[in-house]
Amino acid sequence: MYVHVPFCERVCPYCDFAVIAARPLTRELEDRFVAGLLVELERRAPAFDGRRLASLYFGGGTPSLLHPESVERVVEAVHRAFPASPEAAVEITLEVNPSTLERSRLPDFRSAGVARVSVGVQSFQDPVLKRLGRAHGAAEAHRTLAACRDAGFPSLSLDLIYAAPGQSAGDLERDLAEVTSFAPEHVSAYELSVEAGTPFALARERGQLELPAEDVALAMARNLEERLAAAGIQRYEISSYARPGCEAVHNTRYWRRRPVLGIGPSAVSTDPPVSDQTPFGSRRRNLPAVVPWLEGIESGSAAEASPPEVFDAATARGEAVFLALRELRGLDAGRFAGEFGAPPRQFFAAEIDELRADGLVDEDADGSLRLTRPGRQLADTVFVRFV
Amino acid sequence: MTDPSRIRNFCIVAHIDHGKSTLADRLLDATQSISKREKRAQFLDNMDLERERGITIKAQTVRMSYVASDGERYILNLIDTPGHVDFSYEVSRALHACEGAILVVDAAQGIEAQTLANAYLAVDAGLEIIPIVNKIDLPSADPDRVAVEIEDVIGLDAADVLSVSAKEGDGIPELLEAIIGRIPPPKGDREAPTRALVFDAWFDSYVGAAMLVRVVDGSLTRGARICMMAHGTERDIQELHVVDPFPRKVEALRAGEVGVVIAGVKTLAEVFVGDTLCLAGKNLPERLPGFLEAKPMVFTGLYPVSSEDFEALKTALVKLKLNDSSLSYEPETSAALGFGFRCGFLGFLHSEIIQERLEREYDLDLITTAPTVRYRVVMPGGEAFEIESPASLPSAGEYDHIEEPMILATIHTPDDYLGPVLALCQDRHGTQRDMMHHGSRVQVRYELPLAEVVLDFHDRIKSVTRGYGSFDYEFIDYRRADLVKLDVLVNGESIDALSLIVHREKAHGHGTILVRKLKEFIPRQMYEVVLQAAIGARVVARTTVKALRKNVTAKCYGGDISRKRKLLEKQKAGKRRMKKVGSVEIPQEAFLAALKLDDS
Ligand SMILES: Nc1nc2c(ncn2[C@@H]2O[C@H](COP(=O)(O)OP(=O)(O)O)[C@@H](O)[C@H]2O)c(=O)[nH]1
Ligand code: SF4
Repeated sequence: MYVHVPFCERVCPYCDFAVIAARPLTRELEDRFVAGLLVELERRAPAFDGRRLASLYFGGGTPSLLHPESVERVVEAVHRAFPASPEAAVEITLEVNPSTLERSRLPDFRSAGVARVSVGVQSFQDPVLKRLGRAHGAAEAHRTLAACRDAGFPSLSLDLIYAAPGQSAGDLERDLAEVTSFAPEHVSAYELSVEAGTPFALARERGQLELPAEDVALAMARNLEERLAAAGIQRYEISSYARPGCEAVHNTRYWRRRPVLGIGPSAVSTDPPVSDQTPFGSRRRNLPAVVPWLEGIESGSAAEASPPEVFDAATARGEAVFLALRELRGLDAGRFAGEFGAPPRQFFAAEIDELRADGLVDEDADGSLRLTRPGRQLADTVFVRFV
Repeated sequence: MTDPSRIRNFCIVAHIDHGKSTLADRLLDATQSISKREKRAQFLDNMDLERERGITIKAQTVRMSYVASDGERYILNLIDTPGHVDFSYEVSRALHACEGAILVVDAAQGIEAQTLANAYLAVDAGLEIIPIVNKIDLPSADPDRVAVEIEDVIGLDAADVLSVSAKEGDGIPELLEAIIGRIPPPKGDREAPTRALVFDAWFDSYVGAAMLVRVVDGSLTRGARICMMAHGTERDIQELHVVDPFPRKVEALRAGEVGVVIAGVKTLAEVFVGDTLCLAGKNLPERLPGFLEAKPMVFTGLYPVSSEDFEALKTALVKLKLNDSSLSYEPETSAALGFGFRCGFLGFLHSEIIQERLEREYDLDLITTAPTVRYRVVMPGGEAFEIESPASLPSAGEYDHIEEPMILATIHTPDDYLGPVLALCQDRHGTQRDMMHHGSRVQVRYELPLAEVVLDFHDRIKSVTRGYGSFDYEFIDYRRADLVKLDVLVNGESIDALSLIVHREKAHGHGTILVRKLKEFIPRQMYEVVLQAAIGARVVARTTVKALRKNVTAKCYGGDISRKRKLLEKQKAGKRRMKKVGSVEIPQEAFLAALKLDDS
């Protein structure tokens, strides 16, 4: 399950998530918001009837702006709605931004059932953080990470941004030294992407955004992978690194196209197949703005932005391939055949042959597919062939 | 039967937005004809009615009936004219169907570029001009200043300028009286052998081609056997109509009258605007002067992006040709682009209109090659042939020389902008023929290679004269020129669809700009792409598109899977519009890079 918490202290100039800021999250709004989540959960749970809970992810936005009691209410409601998966402990993750307020709440989040925190560090260099428009500094990040350990979270993930404006290879090198000394279980490292409509996009248009050159960015990516690997944190997806066994359960569900129930404004669900109506599942997207979503939920009318997207086999196959290829382990031919009746080659022979000839994709004897090292740099070039 | 002395044939000419359509509506109201709007509504409401009347009406040419202050009833034929230089021949034919023109000038804007261009065309056609200042109801109107301007610039007496508000209807009665009083009645001889000028034609899906004619001498009667003199084709007149404002069947059209002729002509390709109709027989009269077959001047290759669409493209061209006799097409094969058509157009604008219709109405994805003109290749033995595509030029050494089409350009400009106009003509290899001053206006005539004007010359004239210049041209002849074929090589392979024929001295410069432009259009791909421009074996310019090294979306979580997928789908659709040449994907825009050579 995914819970979207759209509040941030301020909006970062590169962010294109559905977030609101500059308005303090009052207790009143928070209570109304949490009540809305609970109503939505109740409304949507039947579509996931009979399923067991594998993960619960509080994302945003900045979900740690919620009071721990609020998080706890949601966690409890979710537990009531769905039995836990018997195979492993339910992974409950909360995204946290480095700040004094949030740090003070960490122990209570832990007691609310949160076992994994994902900290939006982005960088340990003040000038880089400043240029990214982040609200925190390096010292704050250090204190928050330490507090996470102190609060006893068994799993700690850290977000990094590289190829940020004005960032040098040395800056990243220093970041990596800090990261490895904290020894997190998991790292998500994103190359900064300038999304349309953000202040960064505007700055770039005006020639005011100085991003590292292509070969510098490529060298950064290589260094990142090597340094983390040396510290026992292995790359397992295009932007994700983990100690063996600590891969994100929740994110992996996306890459394997597993059902996820999303609640909260702008949250997206991938509903499980309903045999005769939606044999390949469907996707729903909530209204993005807080108030319309709340009003939709409270009045019992629609809180969704558009009619559900019902997958046909071809669309589902395309997604299945490009999502699975994001993981280093790649697309499992058997699992694919289980859903679509035949291994990938049956549907994509010409594409696979060309991509192999170009050295972007490897194919196993059983038809499983994997990106090669050059393929990971050109992943979108590969993915285009399958949609 | 109306005596020719009670007929007036005229058109309205104006700069765009100065009120031509509004004035036409007002004249229809004032003559108790029905307004254009009602007319359109009624047509739409009642398709059966239209069917019964037999024909559709394309042009806004209408016949009105008006009782003048002398107590007599007059027939007024308002003749519609098209409006762009590419179609200037059609305009001049329509003008030749009139004896007079109303020149509309906006009382606030004053004279503008098209006011002049149109006024000169009307003067050239020998028309009586009634200048009017329109929109006098506007607070910013300054009719007196504009009248003086008309006298100074065009040379029409300011005292003859009428003031009108087409919107309010002020001045309309005076204008109608001026039409009767000042415009001469048609001169034709009703007893002389019949001659009628075809000044417009369109395709009606029921009866075939419909011809709008002005009977000059004699008369046309239903059932008569006529000869279309351009090609000597004979046909029987099945129907005659006047349009007042609905098509109405009549038995005859006599000298001085305007009407529609339906004569079992199946396609528009058989009709030529400017042609003369006469009665079939042994002794044919002399043709009316000034006939020119609308001849394609500009050629481009049109290729379907996906080869399965070839048949669909062919069907679409056949259909468009029904209504547009100036369009020509012939199958063509390109090593790079596969099967397509070499199409001929009146001008660049015409080619753009057709391409847009093919893409929009027929839903075709097309690759268009840069436009070229028709060159003449003269072989050592002296025999010559014409080529419409650079790819069909034989190798250097095999032919003796190449000749290119030349035009005579007539340019009108205020003298302030004469310098830049002359510089532009010079740069385009022009030779000045003459220059005339009329007050503060200048008319210059230049002989220019057609290839230098087809693309953007009109726009350039507009821009160097701040919109006050006008430009018109006619074909003169073919002349020998030092031309070479500039080839483009992509990874060493010559791409026929990208080659150009250029003047030798410009080849190097063009080659350099061309490869630079291509580099902008060709996206980075898996491998480095080498672009070269060459004359024969000699490479004159080279650049590379670096290999794509990084193309990966960092984040992909629940919220954006659909969005990411749609982005990928969009990229894929973009790829579909690219043509794969060898292992290189070349987008449609790249094939038009040659158009951008000037804005280096
Ligand atoms: N105020 C005013 N506006 C007019 C008059 N005649 C035309 N217009 C307006 O000028 C604009 C252009 O007129 P239109 O007849 O379409 O111009 P055309 O492009 O020459 O056919 C329209 O918005 C008309 O309503 C007039 O006498 N007075
Ligand atoms: S903290 Fe994260 S979600 Fe909030 S504005 Fe910044 S980037 Fe966006």
